[in-house]
Amino acid sequence: MPYDLDLLDETAWRDLVARHGYRMWAVARAFGLDAADAADAVQAAWLRLLESMHTIRDPERVGAWLVTTTRHEAARIGRRRTGDRLTDLPAEIPAPDGDPTAAMLTEEDGRRLWAAVDRLPHPCRMLLRLIVTVPEASYAQLSRRLDMPIGSIGPTRGRCLKRLRSLMEDER
Amino acid sequence: MNDDEYLLAALRIAAGADPVPARVASEAHAVYGLRLPGAVTASLVAPSPDTAIGARPLPGVRSNGSTAGTEPRLLRFAAEGLTIDVEITVCDSHLDLAGQVHPAPGKGARVEIRTPHVAKIRFPSESGEFATTGLPHGWLSIVCHRVGDPPVATRWQCIRR
Repeated sequence: MPYDLDLLDETAWRDLVARHGYRMWAVARAFGLDAADAADAVQAAWLRLLESMHTIRDPERVGAWLVTTTRHEAARIGRRRTGDRLTDLPAEIPAPDGDPTAAMLTEEDGRRLWAAVDRLPHPCRMLLRLIVTVPEASYAQLSRRLDMPIGSIGPTRGRCLKRLRSLMEDER
Repeated sequence: MNDDEYLLAALRIAAGADPVPARVASEAHAVYGLRLPGAVTASLVAPSPDTAIGARPLPGVRSNGSTAGTEPRLLRFAAEGLTIDVEITVCDSHLDLAGQVHPAPGKGARVEIRTPHVAKIRFPSESGEFATTGLPHGWLSIVCHRVGDPPVATRWQCIRR
């Protein structure tokens, strides 16, 4: 259905913030940005939406567009932190199609994510819980706590996340 | 960002270990008030050697093209038929800004320097120059309001130290 975002009223805007703000924050933080930089990346996406409203025709895609734009801005801020001056140039307006992170992440998705973690076998369940809730824990500490060789923490982490991802995909 | 990092970030947020700060949502709400219906967007273009306001030589640009810490940042925005050059000096507590609209926008024009929470109005000189001081660090957009033409607004830029 054609839909003119220029006609978005304030309630509809607040609804967009409620629906997508959570996932945009996750995307920015996944780049390793600190809270201040992540806030800038998210705010950038909202301001870009303001500038680009007239180019967006499909409201179903606004969420994906916001997520993709947050990702671009977060990448840009990340590069700027590492001293790449070229990043002051504008990012292209990204196309939302085919974005693997374009699915929504809501609080409900968060609950499903943790329910899936609980279904993972040992040591995945414990390992992911520790990595998430004690982010400062070193591999040496994780190794002692889980009684695993330190060299297997990294590969196990990768394997556990892969299992988690496939559990989530099965649910779709 | 790879998929693993995203999944971990999502887990952290869902666990309440990384809650979205309230300020992030309130600033996103406030963006709605910054709409400028009918405005033409001026995009950032690569600064050219004559970007310096008043055609002064580029100050403080090192041979590798980066600017020294205290030297102004030069930004050029272009929309059809209008260019806005901006020179921003980043001070410890605030930003100072000088700019020029090309071609000079004529009688009755106003330049609005916007941040998400403050807007300042300047009447450009005959040659299109304007300036302001004491802006907060962070997001910034310049709007040129002309008589009989739609306003031209630069894309928002985040200016921090």
